[in-house]
Amino acid sequence: MRVLSTIKFTVLRMVRNYIVLLLLLVVPILLITFFSYILSGVTTETGVPLRDENAMQMVLVFQLFGGSIVMYMIYNDLFTENKMRIYSLPFNQTMYAFSIMLCGAVYSILLGVILMVYAQLVLGVVWGNWVWTIYIISLMAILSIIVCLIFTFSVKKYKIAERLSEVYGVGFVLLAGFFFPMPENAFFDFFGTYGNPLTLSIGAVHEMDQSNLGEAWFQANILLGAIIILFMVMLILGRRRMG
Amino acid sequence: MKMIKEPMFFVNVWRFLMIGVLIHLWIMEEATTNSFILILLLMIMTSLRWRFALPVWSVLVDAFICFLFFPYTAISYYGLAVPIFELTIKGRAVFSLLFFISLFFTSASPNLLFWFFLQALFFGLFSYLTLKNQKVNKLEADEQRKARYELERIKIDLLEANQSVSQQAGLMERYRISRELHDHLGHDLTGASLALQAYEYIQDPHEADKLLEEVKNRLERSTKSLRETVHNMTPTTLMGVENLEYIINNYYQIDIDWKKSGDTLQVPAYMWSLLEACLKEALTNVVRHSNATKIEVDLHVTGTIARLSIQDNGTVPNQNQTGSGLRSLQMRARSLGGSVSINRDNGFLLVCVIPMEKGGADK
Amino acid sequence: MTIFKFALKRSFSNTTNLIFLTLFPIACIFLPNGEDWPFLPYGYQYFGILILFVGIRLATIILEDREKGVVKRLAVAPISHFQYLSQNLLAYSVILILQCILVVFGGVLYGQELYQPGWLLFLFVSFSFASLAIALAWISIYRKKDVSFLVYMSLIFIVIILGGLMIPIEIFPDLLKRIAIIFPTFWLAEGLNWIVFGENILDFLLINGVLWLYTIIFIIIGSTRKIY
Repeated sequence: MRVLSTIKFTVLRMVRNYIVLLLLLVVPILLITFFSYILSGVTTETGVPLRDENAMQMVLVFQLFGGSIVMYMIYNDLFTENKMRIYSLPFNQTMYAFSIMLCGAVYSILLGVILMVYAQLVLGVVWGNWVWTIYIISLMAILSIIVCLIFTFSVKKYKIAERLSEVYGVGFVLLAGFFFPMPENAFFDFFGTYGNPLTLSIGAVHEMDQSNLGEAWFQANILLGAIIILFMVMLILGRRRMG
Repeated sequence: MKMIKEPMFFVNVWRFLMIGVLIHLWIMEEATTNSFILILLLMIMTSLRWRFALPVWSVLVDAFICFLFFPYTAISYYGLAVPIFELTIKGRAVFSLLFFISLFFTSASPNLLFWFFLQALFFGLFSYLTLKNQKVNKLEADEQRKARYELERIKIDLLEANQSVSQQAGLMERYRISRELHDHLGHDLTGASLALQAYEYIQDPHEADKLLEEVKNRLERSTKSLRETVHNMTPTTLMGVENLEYIINNYYQIDIDWKKSGDTLQVPAYMWSLLEACLKEALTNVVRHSNATKIEVDLHVTGTIARLSIQDNGTVPNQNQTGSGLRSLQMRARSLGGSVSINRDNGFLLVCVIPMEKGGADK
Repeated sequence: MTIFKFALKRSFSNTTNLIFLTLFPIACIFLPNGEDWPFLPYGYQYFGILILFVGIRLATIILEDREKGVVKRLAVAPISHFQYLSQNLLAYSVILILQCILVVFGGVLYGQELYQPGWLLFLFVSFSFASLAIALAWISIYRKKDVSFLVYMSLIFIVIILGGLMIPIEIFPDLLKRIAIIFPTFWLAEGLNWIVFGENILDFLLINGVLWLYTIIFIIIGSTRKIY
């Protein structure tokens, strides 16, 4: 359990990375604030204020990018800069990698919760079901971390893995049709609905708000399934890369 | 953050703040696209001023830009604060008062505008004075630095001149001695030697006695002459190591343990003056600052260096700075290629080391 | 013109740059039309965002020079800072202009409804210059390429939204409407509206004039010579 003693420093390193804080906390806060001013008074067809809808989407969108810091730390500690130091330490490196993942997930979830609290306290956004929303946020955070790590393990150049993780984030936002409607064919339909973690998570939160428990759990479980399958893939790739 | 201490930094911040004020006014009051162009144009002038030192007449451009927008927007009157500030900062505060005339026909609130202009004028004046003072101070600092460097150079020159003068004096003295010996002793001794050689060949005993008498006279005369020459040339003042001994013997305050070793005659005259100064300085310091009861003075001369060390057993914790006396000693030692070092760990220790030039005093 | 030549070559040498400079503009051509907003096809409404990104990607090459100490070596080379900067900027402008031409005429050939393609090209070119100038001013604050890029990226999102490029400015509350005018993206959005509805050419020239004023301001601020 020597890994436990490193957690403190992992957390410190994450908190001190001010670029990540800027991108994942300050920017969404600004965006949510601006949008809530711009959209104040407008409601959707279901009667929910568009502002609340938008805040929820923002919180989930930024979870797509939450994996970048874990990716950066794993790459630094296990592959390049600190590799020799970490491998000479008397602890299990796999456990260390998991501890970084775990910290990253908790950190990412925490940022999401801070956004939720900010939106509720400052802007007066109403969140339907707090526990459910946080559960969905956690699923998104973990998924993002796993996807980012798969990129890190499968691509030789780290720069390209970084770009891929950006493509993952921006791509799914595009596919969800946030910027402009996607063309209608089977491929885009699939990635606009059940093939897109963003739409799945937004859908899950929606359904829960409207008390459609079955549909909500169904969508969340797809996410969970994706996490489990991708986790296996990540394990295999990671063992190959580290071994 | 060296930049923040520069007055010019605050001037530039003020300039950009001015643009901020105009933008604020513009958002609050009208927000038409036309008047935004005014702000952009003033912004260009401001950034130009930030990058380059524009001449005074460039305020005409600002004034003209504002003037063009008079009929369209009240912000242009506030914009006049820019030329007011720029004129004042260049020391032309009187001209900037002209802009106050616009208060009489402004479409903005004249009261507010008056105070706005006044603060621009005031800060401009303040910056002008600050910048001017900074310039004056810089000039003065430069001049003083120059004077100090010159002084130091003169000091080194003097020390070098001192050294060469004493060498010259030594040479002159040797020349005088050799002339003296040549003039007075040379003739008689040569004569005596020739007479003795002739004595071997003379048969007539009477003649030989006369010659011997002559040799005796000559030798007697030359002995006398030698005694006189030596007597005339022996200096009555103390020299070299005797001088150090004299100083030590006349120092009654504290016991001094005096040791010397090596051939002290090898040390040239100009070095003695430094050694003497070191000794005097150290002894004076002991009396003035220390509670020492015993001093050891050690002079050691080898073929390559002369080393003088003065050690006392004082316990007073000394101030760390080196006094001006010691500093000047260090300078003089450096000019001779040596060094004076000080250690305050166990009492006070002063060591002066001077390298001897090849051939020592014979040069 | 050696620097110019090499600046061109360097801009295309990096894979990410290549994608930014060629694939994305081509993708812009094929994006669909909006329903009631925006009035131009999405690709043309959002092309401004791409121009901003390309601007910073190109400008960070100068920052990279500074990071690696190339600027220090140039300082002792018989080349003035003005030559270095102007030829670099010229190369970037050429790239941006080519990109604008590609997008606008590609759209015309593909059959997109562009109303006045000539003026649209002119507007995009003006905005490209403004974007380049802003990026230049932006990198003059930074020492690290990655940091400057990431922070600029987050800033771009805010500017795009507040400038009314992504959400029609009409639905903004009053205060935000006024603040929007400060951002160059507002003028691009205005220009795009003029392309569709505009009649008086003077309005359009005013819009472009403002973009040119932005270019001048930020070039003045960004052209400071920094060795570190």
